[in-house]
Amino acid sequence: MKRFGILGLAVLLAAGASGPAFGQAPIESELALITPVSKFIHDAALKAFADYAKEKWNVPVKVSAIPAGTPVAYGRIVEWKGKPEVDIFWGGESALFEKLAEQKLLQKVEISREVWEAIPASIGKPRPIPLKDKDGFWVGTALEPYGLVYHPKKIQRLGIPELREWDDLLNPKLKGEVAQCAPTRSSSSNATYEVILSMYGEDKGWEWLRKLAANTGHFTARSRDVPTVVAKGEYSAGFAVPSYMAFEEKLAGFELKFVAPKNAFVTPEPMAILAGARNPKAARAFIEFLLSERGQKVFMERGLFPITPKYKVQGPPGSPAELAVEFTGGVRSYFEREVSNVYDEDVAQKRSDALKQKFRTDIESTWRKP
Amino acid sequence: MTNGAASAARHLAPSRADRLLPALGVGVIWLFLLLFLVYPLMRILYDAFSDDAGRLTLTNFVEFARDPYYLRSLVNSLLLGLGTVAATSVLGFAVAFLLVRYDFVGRNLFSYLTLIPIISPPLVGVLGFTFIMGRAGTVNVLLEDWFGLAKPLNFVYGLHGVLLVETLHLFPMITLNVVDALAKIDPALEEAAESVGARGWKKLVTITLPLTTPGYVAGALLVFIWTFSDFATPLVLGVHDLLASQAYLNIVQFVDRRLFRMGIVISALMVALAVVFLVAARRYVAIKDYSSLSYSKIARRRLSPLRQAAALAFLSFVMLLSFIPYLGVGLASVGKGWSLTPFPLRYTLGYFERVIVETPKYIVNSFLYSTLAVVLCVAIGVPIAWILARTRLPGRDTLDGLNTLILAIPGTAIGIAYIRAFHFDLPLVGRGLTSLWIILPLVLAIRRLPYTVRGSYASLLLVHRSMEEAAASVGASGFRSFSDVTLPLIWRGVLVGSLFSFMTSLQEASAVLFLSLGGWETITVGIFSFYIAGSANEAAALGVILIVVAAVSVTLINRIAGTRMGGMFG
Repeated sequence: MKRFGILGLAVLLAAGASGPAFGQAPIESELALITPVSKFIHDAALKAFADYAKEKWNVPVKVSAIPAGTPVAYGRIVEWKGKPEVDIFWGGESALFEKLAEQKLLQKVEISREVWEAIPASIGKPRPIPLKDKDGFWVGTALEPYGLVYHPKKIQRLGIPELREWDDLLNPKLKGEVAQCAPTRSSSSNATYEVILSMYGEDKGWEWLRKLAANTGHFTARSRDVPTVVAKGEYSAGFAVPSYMAFEEKLAGFELKFVAPKNAFVTPEPMAILAGARNPKAARAFIEFLLSERGQKVFMERGLFPITPKYKVQGPPGSPAELAVEFTGGVRSYFEREVSNVYDEDVAQKRSDALKQKFRTDIESTWRKP
Repeated sequence: MTNGAASAARHLAPSRADRLLPALGVGVIWLFLLLFLVYPLMRILYDAFSDDAGRLTLTNFVEFARDPYYLRSLVNSLLLGLGTVAATSVLGFAVAFLLVRYDFVGRNLFSYLTLIPIISPPLVGVLGFTFIMGRAGTVNVLLEDWFGLAKPLNFVYGLHGVLLVETLHLFPMITLNVVDALAKIDPALEEAAESVGARGWKKLVTITLPLTTPGYVAGALLVFIWTFSDFATPLVLGVHDLLASQAYLNIVQFVDRRLFRMGIVISALMVALAVVFLVAARRYVAIKDYSSLSYSKIARRRLSPLRQAAALAFLSFVMLLSFIPYLGVGLASVGKGWSLTPFPLRYTLGYFERVIVETPKYIVNSFLYSTLAVVLCVAIGVPIAWILARTRLPGRDTLDGLNTLILAIPGTAIGIAYIRAFHFDLPLVGRGLTSLWIILPLVLAIRRLPYTVRGSYASLLLVHRSMEEAAASVGASGFRSFSDVTLPLIWRGVLVGSLFSFMTSLQEASAVLFLSLGGWETITVGIFSFYIAGSANEAAALGVILIVVAAVSVTLINRIAGTRMGGMFG
């Protein structure tokens, strides 16, 4: 049990610092997150951790989460000015985590070396996607592609073939049938806009995005609404949808299909402990738990992929894990295949404001419902 | 303030302890209002008129005025508000008129059913609507399956959809106020009109309508402000170019500080506009019109069978339309994987189980916070009503103004104002008010205070002064006579006001959404977070629970207060 070595040390240090405190629990009895990762995943992860903590240390941990879109979560953390209401920030673009680290709003993750090293530094070609922070302020938790979704019955009625590539969304027959969320509100949408711009170049990229807007019938308020409105059949296809959100609809009984086209952005769902967190030990234990096999299983049964080559999505026939593999096109691990990526963190950061501004002027303010 | 308290003391009581207590009470009331209403609003106005360095400036408003998208949002919001007022007025008047003036089969049933649309909780109503009227809603599916319609008809997505949903939701506000006003019209006035030859339409336009103006204007103002500040409905329907939507969307994205500030600016603008409308409406009529408290006995006209059928058909159609949300929510709360079929194919109670058994916190929190809020409402509101009705304390008008102002301020703005105003560490506690759950009952109490005040005030006016004077003559102090004589006589009004405060607290979403932290979720926050987490079914199940609780409350209110609920909204 080497991976609890550091934790043990931390406990000793804490005990030493606060004088003779022999009966002190190894972790605090509370843990709170702020996260854009939806309830489907974060509820399951928190519950699994609470069970684990109860078994392992007999500590009943009161877990809670503030669900918030990436921009909101980031903004609230900045507003808290180092006196956070929660312990952990989870999900969104890794660049935001680096921005937070620069503002000294994060503390180092400091999990056991073995767990840390089991996660490769990056994945993808020609542009590598970092899976953990070189300075140790954040660590990836699971891999998650942002793809597209469609309603097979609607697609059939429209008389078009099943969608495979990004360009399939521009089919004139899909006019008014596409749902998407504004890149100003959703990090998955923002990242996928960025992918399109990197793939086609600035000019052609925007032309492509304007065509997509012309086919768009509904701009949702949040990215999570995109698979919802498609699953229900309100719209036929959705743009920039994280795999697990689509899978959640599938599990809920909807006939929704998911595709991760070439160059689809893959996020490591970064996690970090906030500076000034009230429950740092519980936070650390939570991260270590999520990176263990038991923790990774929570993800693998819900349409996400392991962050380390150590595990693969598999289970008995008919299990949620197998259903997920089938749903995401037979993928069991992103480390077994070539991951094509054109998203460049630096370019994306530099372009971020301009992208949002251009969306506002070129698309949002001229878009009319077809 | 101390002046007021002191003179109150002089006015009220001789003995020293008796003098101190009321003065203290008045002080507490003022402190409460200043701290939890005036200060946050000042803070948000200051934010709107200052830059990042805290210097006073108008640049934020210049920026707003230069942005065509914001201007479009402003125009759309005004148009939507006016459009909804127009639509609800036609519908609301027609329904009110039928209910008050004519007698037909099922009249009593309809007068109760008319109340039902307003208890539709935020967000859930519009969700239910899309389940039935959306592109994949029951109506479109039937049209496609039965009549071979090629492309679904767009009933709801767009400004017209917002107008439709708001109208069907809010027309009872007009109906209730007009029913109240119509019931107060002295029949002699109309008889006089008839005696000089004004009949039918002419009598209606020259005599009846003007007499209902005060009640109507109060209702119209509420409809306008409700529509003006509602962001949930337009967002579900994909309408972003409205002020409320922009305020919400800009505030909830924190990253871009410029947009964030614009969100605050828009909220401040909404507060300012709401105040302008309120003042304008009060100029036009004295909104609080309790002058004729005697409800006249109305001779209802019996309709001919043919007209009776027409009235029934009209009312049934309106009710059918306004029940669409409930049908949709009801089906969604038990239907699994409902897509492109007129009704769900598979049913489950799993969603109810999840929100009641697995996570009872939504219901527990809602009841806890709303109960605490009502306790505060009574503790603060009943004395305010008493001050307004019985004393000549200085600042009375301001107190009255503040109380009415609360009704006009968008919840979104209050929520944002609280975040801005209370995020600093309190002495002794070491944490900000924003990180203590007590902030939720506090904001609920402020938001719903007017209903308790109104209810108590109306009852106080009905209690004759002579009773209190009698108490005073046998030596009871002002305070004592209030608690021993007045309170027992007005409990009914207080109860109605409190129940109304309670019900609307349960339904409050806009302000609470901004302030809720993990573990504090109420039913409405749960509805919102399930919805944005993609679980519309659980949101619907919570919605059904809220609807049931609200329906029970309304039944109680109706039993206690009769149809005189109108005054509550004015």
